Amino acid sequence: MKLWKRLLLLFSLLYLSALAILALSWIHQLKLGAEWKTAWSFELDPKAKIKPETQNAALKNKIESFHPKGVYIMVDSAENRLYLKKDSQTIKEAVVSTGSGLVLVEPGGKRSWVFDTPKGEFFVKSKIQNPYWVKPDWAFIEENEPIPKKMEDRVEAGVLGDYALGFGQGYFIHGTLYTRLLGRNVTHGCVRVADKDLEEVFKASKIGTRIYIY
Amino acid sequence: MKKRKVGGESRNGEKEVMRLGLAINRAEEKKSVEKRRSASRPKVFIIFFLTLFFLLTLLNTLPAQSRSTKKEAAVKPVAPTGQPAAPAKSSSSQKSNQAAKAPDNVRQTQPTSGVKGIPEATLKILKENRFLEEELKLAKNPQYYFVLNLKEKTLELRARGMVLKSWKASELRYSGKPVPLKVTTLTHKTALKPPERKVLNPAEAQAEETKKAEDKARQEENNKKKKEDKKDTEKTQTSATAATDTFEVEALEITDMPGSYELNFDDGLQIFVRSKSGFSERFRQARENLLWYTWYPVKHFLFRKSELKPRLILYFDNQRDAQGIYWAFIDGLKGIVWFP
Repeated sequence: MKLWKRLLLLFSLLYLSALAILALSWIHQLKLGAEWKTAWSFELDPKAKIKPETQNAALKNKIESFHPKGVYIMVDSAENRLYLKKDSQTIKEAVVSTGSGLVLVEPGGKRSWVFDTPKGEFFVKSKIQNPYWVKPDWAFIEENEPIPKKMEDRVEAGVLGDYALGFGQGYFIHGTLYTRLLGRNVTHGCVRVADKDLEEVFKASKIGTRIYIY
Repeated sequence: MKKRKVGGESRNGEKEVMRLGLAINRAEEKKSVEKRRSASRPKVFIIFFLTLFFLLTLLNTLPAQSRSTKKEAAVKPVAPTGQPAAPAKSSSSQKSNQAAKAPDNVRQTQPTSGVKGIPEATLKILKENRFLEEELKLAKNPQYYFVLNLKEKTLELRARGMVLKSWKASELRYSGKPVPLKVTTLTHKTALKPPERKVLNPAEAQAEETKKAEDKARQEENNKKKKEDKKDTEKTQTSATAATDTFEVEALEITDMPGSYELNFDDGLQIFVRSKSGFSERFRQARENLLWYTWYPVKHFLFRKSELKPRLILYFDNQRDAQGIYWAFIDGLKGIVWFP
């Protein structure tokens, strides 16, 4: 066989195989689409007397019943934003600071702390005006200072701003002196808010107000 | 007689020549036919295999109901509770049952292929009901969860049934066996460069700080000695204050999160999250495109009898979206993947 004939045969083979792969790819996409769309079914239940439409409405209502009523707070720890919401409408948006994600290990390695803002659903458990900060052990370890034995030595005024909303396990939404750091992840787990913004959040929220942190 | 003989010989000779000639012609014809056949054999084989290939693929694309019961049995139905459902009845009896009864009294449980005799709108509602039943389980708990809508290409973070945050993928691909419509749990995330938490060591940090302070003090003293002018000293002081104004935060932030990674779930589902920013990401996507349109269809065809793991690829135009998902998707997070 001549060279040009061989080349022609080779090219035609390549062309045909490319066409075959394309066709297979197309068929594959169609098949996948059909499979993923219809990958479910049901069995007929003769005992059930509820219409699908009514069941649908009932399920939606049930889920809606879990929605928070009235005012609630949402904190986006990735973007460092706080949203004060009322019935799914945003009343206030504020720039905040959340957990730094750093790890502190006590010299000797006995204890360690991860400075993350906890994620999930929480409730406002305490509302404090002009709060004092009772410094925990890690605050002294971080500064490489000895841990005091007296309670009075732990108390520090003016650090937490004018207001604080406690949501459990020592975590607070509070004010700050370091407004320059708002928008960055710098805290030890608390949510820092500028005092002006916090005032509005503080006044709108009550004990039991839901907080969603994600 | 001679003449006759001669004539007869000559005629016989002619006949022999004719015979020989014919024989030669036949042999040549045979050879040429064989040549033609041998030349056309590979073409015939190619055409034959291609048609066979297409027929097989077409056969493979037929809906499960029209195929044999063996193929149907290959798809394991899963009940919403996560336990395998009871073995299905014969397809013909099931069909007759479904056709006979109205869609009013329906309770959805098992994933198989579509059902005849029920309007599509009702089927949609039934599917949504199935999804809502699953979501209800998640909405009861305080932990937030995710909902991945394959039709809308949206990934939502939800808590108590309300949307906290949502991301829209620019492109979405799925392969392998379909994901059952039930709650799935994130077991772990894998990334080429996962973010690492910085560990604080106060004693070392303090020692470093004191060293730095000492060095600075020495430098300042040297500067003071070298530059006697007051203006110069003032300038150095201002530069020192400016240096303190610019700060570097030692923290784990969203920008430290990877832009491309995998989310692995307990039911074998793998979600690949990709962001289109950067040359390496574009190169990766080009490679994935090539594989998607060439190798995957062949792989699916070759391993059609074995159940391939469900895989999803989500592409995001903005890298921050992918990073945000990595941030929000913590291990143990539950969610639902569904195709409305």
